[in-house]
Amino acid sequence: MTLLKYTLWRILQTVPVLIGIATITFFLTNAMPGDPVDIMIGADVDEALEAALRERYGLDRPVHERYVIYLINAAQGDFGLSIHYGAPVIDKIIERLPVTMLLVGSAYTFGLGLAIPLGVLSAARRNDWIDHLSRVVALFGVSTPSFWIGLLLIIVFSFHLGWFPSSDLVRPWRGPAAVSGAETWIEVWYLSARSLVLPTIALGTLQMAAATRIERSSMIETLQTDYVKLARGYGVSEQTILRRHAFRPAQLPVITIVGLNVSTALGGSVLIETVFNINGMGRLIITGIQTLDYPLIMGTTLFFGLIFLVGVIVTDISYAYIDPRISYGDRE
Amino acid sequence: MAIGEHENGTSSEDPAVEQVGWRHTVTVIKRDPTARFGLYLIGLLTLVATFTWIDYLVFDYAIAEAVWYHPERDPEVVETILPPAFIDGGTWAHPLGTDHRGRDILVRVIYGTRISITVGFLSTAIGMVGGTAIGSVAGYYGGWVDDVFMRFVETIYSIPFLVLVIAFMAAFGRSITYAMVGVGIAVIPVFARLIRSRVLSVRETDYVEAARAAGVRDSQIILRHVIPNSFAPVLVQGTLQIGISILIIAGLSFLGYGAQPPTPDWGQMLSESRGYMLPQPWFSIWPGLAILVTVMGFNLFGDGLQDAIDPKIDN
Repeated sequence: MTLLKYTLWRILQTVPVLIGIATITFFLTNAMPGDPVDIMIGADVDEALEAALRERYGLDRPVHERYVIYLINAAQGDFGLSIHYGAPVIDKIIERLPVTMLLVGSAYTFGLGLAIPLGVLSAARRNDWIDHLSRVVALFGVSTPSFWIGLLLIIVFSFHLGWFPSSDLVRPWRGPAAVSGAETWIEVWYLSARSLVLPTIALGTLQMAAATRIERSSMIETLQTDYVKLARGYGVSEQTILRRHAFRPAQLPVITIVGLNVSTALGGSVLIETVFNINGMGRLIITGIQTLDYPLIMGTTLFFGLIFLVGVIVTDISYAYIDPRISYGDRE
Repeated sequence: MAIGEHENGTSSEDPAVEQVGWRHTVTVIKRDPTARFGLYLIGLLTLVATFTWIDYLVFDYAIAEAVWYHPERDPEVVETILPPAFIDGGTWAHPLGTDHRGRDILVRVIYGTRISITVGFLSTAIGMVGGTAIGSVAGYYGGWVDDVFMRFVETIYSIPFLVLVIAFMAAFGRSITYAMVGVGIAVIPVFARLIRSRVLSVRETDYVEAARAAGVRDSQIILRHVIPNSFAPVLVQGTLQIGISILIIAGLSFLGYGAQPPTPDWGQMLSESRGYMLPQPWFSIWPGLAILVTVMGFNLFGDGLQDAIDPKIDN
C-alpha cells in the first residue's frame, strides 16, 4: 500500500468511530433532565411560541427520527442551531476551535521542546545528576493537577510579579483594531504571546513530564540493543551513536504516546480554559452543558473526538514514515 | 487496526516475562526505596480515608468536632481567610488557616482524602473489571467480536476523559457517585486494550493450545489461563490509573461536577479558593499539595511495580 492509500484507509476507518461518538453523545444528551425550551423561555409561556420553538429546533420529532436526521446533517457539516447562542453550532465551533488548537499546540511545543532533550540526556547520562533531576521533574509533572499549576502561576506571575495577564487569550489572528492596547500587528502578536505563556505552561507540564518519561525509557532500551552494542564495539563515539543510531528508532514509542495524549491535552484544555477565562472549545462545551444546549454539546464533543482521531492518524502516518520496516496497514 | 496499535513498542512481548513471580516482585519493591515510600504513602492515605469514612458515616463528624473542628459546618466564631500559622496574622488554632467561610483548612484537607482515595480506587476498579472483560473476550475470540468490541472501545477512548464524564454527568446528574461511574467507564478502554494485547500473545502459547485441545471450555480458558497470565501489566496500569483518576476527579470537582459542597473535597476547595487568590494565596496551595502528594504516591509505587515486573528496563 502506498502512503496515500494508507492515509485514505486510515481516514475511512475513523468513520465508524465518529458515528459511534455521535451516537453516544446523542443519547447521553437526550437522557439529560430538564427541557431546553423551558430553560430558554421559562416554563409557563404561551403554547404557540413553545411549539414554534420546538419545531425550529426539531425537538417535536421522536427520538429515533432526530437521531437519523442528526447523523445525516452532521455528515454534511450541519450540527444544527445552538439553542443558547441562537446561531449555527458549526459557526461557534469554527470561532472557538482555533483558540483551543493554539493553546494545545503551544502546550505541545513547550512540552516536547523540553521533554526530548531532557529524556535523551537523562538516558545518556544515567544516574547522573541530570538524570535524577529530569526524573524528579517528570514525576512531579505527572502528579500535579494542571489547573492547580494554573492557579499557582496566576498567583505568582500575574498577581505578585505582574509579568503575564491572568485571564483571556489574545488571538493573534485578530487585527490591531479588535485588540485593545495594540496598534500594530506586532503588538497584537506580542500581547498574544504574553497571554499564552501561563496557560501553555499549565497545560504543557503534564505533556512534558509524560513525554520525558517515555523518551528516557525508550532511549535506554534502544541503547541496550545489539546494533548499538555492535556500533560501540566498532569504536563509534557515544555522541554519534546517540545522534545517528539510537535517536530515531527510540522516537517510535514516544510518537505513539504523544499522539494518544492529544486526548489528555484536550481534556486538560477544558480546565485550563476555565482557569484562565479563555473562550475556547472547553468553555463552549461547559456552556452547552450548563444551558442544556443539546446541539452544542453534541457538536463540540464530536469535534473533540475528531481532533483526537486526526492526531492518531498523523501519529500512525509519521510512525510508518520514521520506521521503514512497517509496511502500511499490516495488522500486528 | 486499533488506535495506538504500536503501543507494545516498549513493553515486552514475551508472556514468559510474567512468570518471574510474586516473590521476585516483592523482593524488588523491598529493595526500591522510592517504591516503598509510595506504598507507605498509599497505606497512610488509605488509613486516613478509612478513618474519615467511619467518622462521617458512623459519627457524623463527631470525632473531628471533638478533637478539632467540624469539616463541613460553618464555625460560630467566623474568622474567614486566615493565613497559615507561620505567616503574620495566622494562629496555631488553625495551622493551615481558614477558608472563605471560616472553616479550618487542615481539617478539610484531611477529610478530603475520603473522596479522592475512594473514588480513585473504585473508578479504577470499574474500569479494570469492565476493561478486562471486554479486552479478554475481544482478544480471545478475535474476528468480528474483536472488531465490534474494539470499535466501541475506540469510540469511548476518542472522547477526552473529562469531556465524556462531564457529558455523562450532565445526563444523569451531578453527584460524586456518577462522577465515579463516569470515570470508571471512561477508563475501560485503557484496560481493554492492554488486556487484549496480552491475550493475543497468551492465546498462542502451548498451554492454551493444550487446554483447548483437551476440550476445556472457552470461558474456563479465559478465566483460568488467559486473565491470570495477563494480570501483571493490568496491576501496574491500575496503580498508575488510580493516580490519573484522582486527577480527573479533582478536575471534575474543580469544574463543579464532582463532590458537591459542603463535602470537603480537594478539587472543590481549589475551585472555592479561586475568588481569594490575591488576598489569600495559601488557600489555593494546600488542597493542590494534597492532590500532588497523593497522586505521587501512586506513581512512585506504580513505577516500582513496573520495574519489578518488566525487568527489561532496569533502573
